[in-house]
Parts: sequence; structure tokens; C-alpha cells
Amino acid sequence: MKQAIALEVNGDTYEVLVSPNQTLLEVLREKLGLTGTKKGCDLGACGACTVLLDGAAYLSCLMLAVDAVGKKIVTIEGLSQGGELHPLQKSFVELGGLQCGFCTPGIIMTAKAVLDEEPQPTEESLKKKMAGNLCRCTGYKKVLDSIMGATARMGGER
Amino acid sequence: MRLPKFDYRRPERIQEACAILLDQPCAKLMAGGTDLLVNMKHRAETPSTIVSLKALPDLDFVQKTNSALRIGALTPLKKVYNDPFVAAKLPALAIAASSVGSYHHQTMGTIGGNLCQQTRCKYFNQSKWWRSSRPLCFKAGGELCHVAKREGVCYSTYCGDVAPALLAFGAEVILTGAHGLRQVPLEEIFSGDGKTPLKIGRGEILTEIVIPNQAADGFSTYGKSANRGSIDFPIVGAAVWRSSSTGESRIALTAVDRKPVRARRLEDFLEGKQLNEETFQAVDGLVAKESRLMPSSIDSLSYKRKLMGLLVQSALSEARGGE
Ligand SMILES: Cc1cc2nc3c(=O)[nH]c(=O)nc-3n(C[C@H](O)[C@H](O)[C@H](O)COP(=O)(O)OP(=O)(O)OC[C@H]3O[C@@H](n4cnc5c(N)ncnc54)[C@H](O)[C@@H]3O)c2cc1C
Ligand code: SF4
Repeated sequence: MKQAIALEVNGDTYEVLVSPNQTLLEVLREKLGLTGTKKGCDLGACGACTVLLDGAAYLSCLMLAVDAVGKKIVTIEGLSQGGELHPLQKSFVELGGLQCGFCTPGIIMTAKAVLDEEPQPTEESLKKKMAGNLCRCTGYKKVLDSIMGATARMGGER
Repeated sequence: MRLPKFDYRRPERIQEACAILLDQPCAKLMAGGTDLLVNMKHRAETPSTIVSLKALPDLDFVQKTNSALRIGALTPLKKVYNDPFVAAKLPALAIAASSVGSYHHQTMGTIGGNLCQQTRCKYFNQSKWWRSSRPLCFKAGGELCHVAKREGVCYSTYCGDVAPALLAFGAEVILTGAHGLRQVPLEEIFSGDGKTPLKIGRGEILTEIVIPNQAADGFSTYGKSANRGSIDFPIVGAAVWRSSSTGESRIALTAVDRKPVRARRLEDFLEGKQLNEETFQAVDGLVAKESRLMPSSIDSLSYKRKLMGLLVQSALSEARGGE
């Protein structure tokens, strides 16, 4: 049975009618039109659907929308502030951390969660935490360079 | 991939959750959902009701007491391995928890869900479309097992990473039911039957893990081999614990049988012996005897057997380094 729920996404509250079997990914993309979050494998194995839930990196394809009630959800659309790209986004643009760009929203959201908990990660720690975000174009080198570049830019800021 | 339809319940008390399970035989518990929802998308599991544990209070903790380390079943894996006591004193658990899937699964997945995860098989963990080229297998609701080529059996493999570490520590678990709770050795919750791998009573929920203090007094490690080091289930995983006061060893493996197994023959053999090249020679043979390898994964049995010996030997030589 459908139920009305309120989701807080990127600081705005949305009232939506959902069935329990709808994932957060489906609701973000199909009900709220927030198509920045990508549907990749849809089985929790590629990281493309990563969003932040109360600051932590969640796979929105393995999360029921009804379970996201009461959480602060942030998607790639919510990162820029007043038209200014987030330092992570700037770094990806400047250092060429993307090619086709499909995996990029998920990568950036995971990177945001990682840097928020560990502002100056070692390369080893970063590689381990980013390993669940697959990319078929870049070969990962420039992805990691871009995240490391952003740590310098952010200087511990969020 | 859409999830099948189900009724959704989100009880706020454990007793309420137990009551729903008793009332609805086809209901399934969901903790982090990272195992269950994948199987449901594949229509390999289609529970009529999902009982979400996410609203239950007080099951997300790592707590040191005088006699044990207690971990709530809903504690995310990341919180387990980031706990300072676990990281310093129970390295096998820290390594195992941080080797589960990716950072995301460690954030979302719980330790209880990890222990209670479904067994795996190359004929079961596939999309409905993929599976439609054969009759439904026994585990998925049909008659025939495509692995054993017989009816009425299931040899799907238990692949959880955390269980071997906890078995090596001699951990116990608390099962809570409608009429109270009971504490049993972790080993006892695994049935050894691929079709219904858990031996938890109807209406019971795993609520806590209890690791005795003794576990912190000794060497421990976990080794895992996987296709992609980044996010895959183990091809084989092995945990070793060796007491620093008594010299007792405990060894446990995953992905080698329908349940995680203790290598008791090897443990007995090592009793009172020094770890050296001579004792290591016996490892391969003794470890192989503990498992019931079946071709339920894409890896060959001889490869798995080799890995079992290698992983245990490598953990034991690490233990020797510390002695
Ligand atoms: C791409 C991918 C890679 C993965 N890699 C690994 C890996 O390398 N190693 C590994 O071990 N796992 C892996 N997993 C599986 C899963 O992510 C983890 O096992 C995780 O810890 C499961 O926890 P959960 O809370 O999400 O479980 P859930 O999916 O919520 O539950 C799993 C099962 O346990 C039952 N259950 C849950 N909690 C309880 C409880 N308290 N009492 C009784 N029954 C309960 C549920 O009914 C369900 O059947 C992977 C999954 C994916 C999608
Ligand atoms: S071992 Fe047999 S019954 Fe079990 S999941 Fe595989 S094919 Fe199905």
C-alpha cells in the first residue's frame, strides 16, 4: 500500500507517495527528478547510486525510501552552494577526474563522506574506501588525484 | 531492478518484531538490507513481509564489560572495526569486518546481518531471467539441486567474512524471542543445511554478540582471498587465534561449506606444539578434512583447497612471528 512520507533532500522537504518496495534511488530519480544520482548495477556493487544519509555514504539502490524518513539526504545536486561548485567538484573538473561522467556523482558523494571523516587520508586509506565505486573510463588515477587535490583545497573544511 | 511487493513493518520493540515473525511464517528480518534486498531484486527470496530492525533501539553498540566485549546486532561493520578495543585487541575481527564488500557495505551492513547472511551459489545469486533457463533449484523453491544433481538437497556455501573471526574467538550470541532470551555458542546457530542455513528458532532475533575476554589475550588474524580485493565475497577466508598464555589455537574457515567451520582436527594437532615448518606440513591435509567443498561457486575445488591451506599457513606463520 502506498504511503505519504516526507524526505529531506538537499535541505528541502518533499512529500511523496511511495510503496514500501520503492528504493530511495527510484524515488530520487523518478519522483523528485533528481537524476544526478545514477542507476548503475542497481545491485549494490558499483557505487554509482551513492548519496549521503546523515553524512554517511549509502547505496540508494539498497535503501528503501521509507527507511530514509527522518534522515538528512544529500545528493550530487546539493553539493554546490549559491552557484559555486564544491571544492571536490572543482578539483574533478580541473584535474580531469572524469571522462564519460556516469560514475562521477557516486564517486564524489563517497569522496565527500570519506573526507568528512578523514580530511587528510593516506593514499592507501583513500583507495580502500573508494574501491566500491567502479569507473570504466579513467583507470582511477585521475579520480584519486582529484580527491587528493580537493583535500588541499578544502583544508579540512566541509 | 524493481523490488517485489511486500508488506513493510518497522517495529519499535523487539517483542513486537518477534510477534510479527511468529504470526507471519513468510516474514523476513531486515537489518542493513545489503544482502536481503539484492536477493529480493533477483526474486531469489520473496518474503511476504519485511520486518525492518532499523527502528529498534539499543542494538547499536560496542561495549566492554568485565568479562566480555558485547556488540549489538545492529552495529554497522564500520563502527565495529573503528572501535579502539577491537582494533587493538581483536585484530581478526577488525580485519574481517573491514574486508566485507566495500566501504558502503561496511557503513550500511550490520554485524548481525553479516552473520545471518544467506548462503551463496552460482545458480542462486543470479537474476530471475538468468535462472529461467533451468528449472527452479531446490533452494529457490524447486526440486532439483543443479550442483549436486539430486533432488531435495542444497549445497550453497556460507560466505560471511565475520563468522570465522568470531568462531576463533569462541564468541557466543544472544537470541531473543517472544519468551525471553538465550545465549548460545555462535557455532550453534548454523544448521549446515544449505536450504535453511540458520538454526534460529521461529520468532527469534539475534540481538547481541558476546566475545569472551580470553579472546583479547592472544594473537589473531583473518586472511581472505577474493576475485577483486576491493568488493568481493571470499573465495576462501580463514581466521586464526592463538592464546598467548596457554598456546591453544582456534582456526575457522568460511566459503568452504554450507556453514562456517572450525578446523578442530588441526587445532588438536597443534595443541602443545611449536609452530614451525614441520608442524606447517600437516596443515593442508588436516584443514581439507574439515570442509565439504562442492562446486557451488565459479572457483575450482582444487583451487579452493589450495587456498585453504595457504591462508591458514600464512596466518599461523604470522602467529609464529609474534611468539
Ligand atoms: C556487492 C556486494 C559485496 C558484498 N561483499 C561481501 C563480502 O565480501 N563479505 C561478506 O561477508 N558479505 C558481503 N556482502 C553481503 C552484505 O553486504 C554483508 O554481509 C552485510 O554485513 C549484511 O548485513 P546487513 O545488515 O545488510 O544484512 P541484511 O541484508 O539486512 O540481512 C541479511 C540476512 O540476515 C538476516 N538478519 C539480519 N539481521 C538479523 C538479526 N539480527 N537476527 C536474525 N537474522 C538477521 C536477514 O533476515 C537476512 O536474511 C556483499 C554484498 C554486496 C551487495
Ligand atoms: S546448491 Fe543446489 S539447491 Fe542450493 S542454491 Fe545451488 S543449485 Fe540451488
